[in-house]
Amino acid sequence: MKTINNNLRLFWQGTVLSYVALFAWFRPVTYIASKILMPLAQMIFFTFLGSYASGGSNVDFYVIGNAIQITAVSGIFGVTMSIGGDRWAGTLAYLFGTPANRMMMFFGRAFMHVIDGAFGVVIALTWGALLFGVDFSQTNLSALGLTILVTTISTCGLGLLMGCLSLITANVMFVNNTVYFLLLIFSGANIAIDTLPNWMQAFSQILPLTRGIASARILIAGGSFAEVVPLLTSEAGIGIIYGWLGYFLFKWFEVQAKRKGSLETV
Amino acid sequence: MNIIEVQNLKRVYRATNGVIRRTTKEIVAVDDLSFDIKEGELFGLLGPNGAGKTTSVKVLATLLIPDAGQVRVKGLDIVKDANEVRKEIGFIFGGERGLYWRLSGNDNLRYFASLYHVAPEISKKRIPYLLELVGLKGRGDERVQGYSRGMKQRLHVARTLLHDPDILFLDEPTIGLDPVGAREFRDVIRNLQSEKKTILLTTHYMFEADSLSDRVAVIDKGLIVALDTPSALKKHVRDLSVVEIETFGIAPNVVEEIRKLPFVDSLSTREQDHRQILHVQTERGAEAVPDLMASLEGMRVGRVTVREPTLEDAYVRLVGGKA
Amino acid sequence: MKLKNLITYWRTALTVAEITLRHQWNDSFILFAILVQPMIIAILALFMLRDLGGEYAMFVVVGSGLTGLWSSLLFISGNSINNERRQGTLESLVALPTPFEVIIFGKNLANVVQSLISMSSSYILAALLFGYTLKMVSPLLFVGSVIISIFAFISFGLVIAPLFIIYRGIQQWQNAMEFPVYILAGFLFPIAMLPNWTTPISYVLPPYWAARALHETSTGTGDTEKIFFAWSMMLLFSVIDLFIASKLFKFMLYKARVDATLETV
Repeated sequence: MKTINNNLRLFWQGTVLSYVALFAWFRPVTYIASKILMPLAQMIFFTFLGSYASGGSNVDFYVIGNAIQITAVSGIFGVTMSIGGDRWAGTLAYLFGTPANRMMMFFGRAFMHVIDGAFGVVIALTWGALLFGVDFSQTNLSALGLTILVTTISTCGLGLLMGCLSLITANVMFVNNTVYFLLLIFSGANIAIDTLPNWMQAFSQILPLTRGIASARILIAGGSFAEVVPLLTSEAGIGIIYGWLGYFLFKWFEVQAKRKGSLETV
Repeated sequence: MNIIEVQNLKRVYRATNGVIRRTTKEIVAVDDLSFDIKEGELFGLLGPNGAGKTTSVKVLATLLIPDAGQVRVKGLDIVKDANEVRKEIGFIFGGERGLYWRLSGNDNLRYFASLYHVAPEISKKRIPYLLELVGLKGRGDERVQGYSRGMKQRLHVARTLLHDPDILFLDEPTIGLDPVGAREFRDVIRNLQSEKKTILLTTHYMFEADSLSDRVAVIDKGLIVALDTPSALKKHVRDLSVVEIETFGIAPNVVEEIRKLPFVDSLSTREQDHRQILHVQTERGAEAVPDLMASLEGMRVGRVTVREPTLEDAYVRLVGGKA
Repeated sequence: MKLKNLITYWRTALTVAEITLRHQWNDSFILFAILVQPMIIAILALFMLRDLGGEYAMFVVVGSGLTGLWSSLLFISGNSINNERRQGTLESLVALPTPFEVIIFGKNLANVVQSLISMSSSYILAALLFGYTLKMVSPLLFVGSVIISIFAFISFGLVIAPLFIIYRGIQQWQNAMEFPVYILAGFLFPIAMLPNWTTPISYVLPPYWAARALHETSTGTGDTEKIFFAWSMMLLFSVIDLFIASKLFKFMLYKARVDATLETV
């Protein structure tokens, strides 16, 4: 019982403290600019681009795709910075020096970003309804809510892996930005996956977001929860795999860092 | 002829704190400063941290606008004629920042040469000459990133000499250098003196000011407390001697008691390892030693020496034994 | 300003541009802004506009190149003064006989010219990967448009950089300014699709006129009269921007010398 309590506390502290530390330099204005307005403008841009191509017949396709994609702002950038932030601040050595449960410590860093990311998607979909008239009257909202949550969690899974890679590479922002933009191509947010060349389709299938976006589209068009269950299960599975890969990398990094004494310098 | 004239210079910093209840705090960095520097002179500005040395230099280098007073460089006003002043001066601020680390030393110099409007055909010859002058011959093609701190600081000197200014402001140029690096740097400054540059040097180090300066101004809290040649400044303490006593774990109240003794002119302490060295300035010289030892009775005392005063002692006396 | 000064300043600006390019050639942030992001946008647009036919490939090449131009102006030129301050070089750059705006002009010149890589790489991508035959309809007028656009972007950048320093409140919105200009300047779709009330905003954005000139000359959608009109608008805005910039720089530098903010961030 005591261990569980300890671990829960650790999870919570890792969560809140790392989030607070990350955004300590963030003023509310910066938060609104980077986490609400930037994704919104991006959604509007791609929606217009898409309707220019298709003559405006399938606005919903682009609004939904790009709204769900917004989860990657928190999932990739937020999570990576929460993990990498410790290294930049030089506190990683102290963390590795504690007996704390690594798993709690690790997954705790993603928790706030899941909430943050899901919140962002909801805002974006609301804008979609207001600006582009996306119709939610046929939608099973609780199933959509679950889709958003599952997709956000799985994207954060990828973020955890990226965050660990950021411990090894020097060009964190470069890698993150590139991955984020590649998702715009491969997740099906803007291009129907079945129109992509085969090798690209194969790549789409092993990424998070892809099935989440597909599921959201089905639900908003009036599909039933039963239809999207297989999609959501795979989406969750993919996220968990990425998260675990990240966790193993994190453990490996700790061992390597301790062996080589390169905590602060890698 | 006075090449630099500073009259009643005042500079205040205002720091605003708080988002909701804004409070403005004023810090007087330079209160009322007046001095002149003659052509070809090396003028030392000496003072404790926060005395206003760097602020004064930045005003002279056209980087800060004074709140009051007049500052003229070659007869030009540093506010109204800032651009003309900039052609005549060079400056360095101690430390290794302020260079493009991802570029080579040569590229750094070429860049600034162009910004100082030095014609390419002239800078082509001048850059190697300057690198040699500051002891970086053959290192110009390397990236600044790989330079030692001392090399970076010497590259700053080369940078500021590109347009061959008559006047140089050197703000704590040897700060953070190891003893060897600092000595090499002082040799560079001597080279500049022999080229008839007018130099304003600020420093923490007494012997540096002593060995390089023609005249020294000691400033404290933004005011000049003394201005003279190093030897004349030492005359302030000529009739004094310095007694240095090594103590182990002396209590502050004992120090204060000694300070109050009638024959003690001024007193400062310096922490060294586990010892405290007391510097007592007194007219009585060696005769004061027995009385001093009496005040220290029951305490562990190490070496006791009596010596002639240095510029540092003059300085300590001027700024009230704080150093 | 005397002619002799002008020549000296031009030479100085060129050296500044050259050194700037050398200094940042392997900066990963720049690589992303001028190469990776525009390429990905080009890939997206090429896929999305595929059904419109091959003649839209040239439109995509120019449009995605323009996104690279704007992003690098916003983030690299916009932060140029702040970056000097962070490196500790700002003081040395200000206390020089060269006016500070000439230095920033040179830096912007480097950034804008360097971001033309975006357009070239999109061109190569569309031609090689997607196999489009890309035809430039009026090559000479296109080159003219590129040169005038460079000038317009540099001038616009000279307003943005000091603005970000003087009013930090504006810079906080930097991240939110990237895509709206993509939208309002009509880089990849015509602004006719947007609500009417946004049109005046587009008209006062130099990137909008640059996009018009470059699109019209490359795809042949505009007559000479329209192209010259876009050129005139760009030149007009450049003159206005340079005028505003000269005031902003003067104010910024005076304020920095009063507030003692040249050194500290």
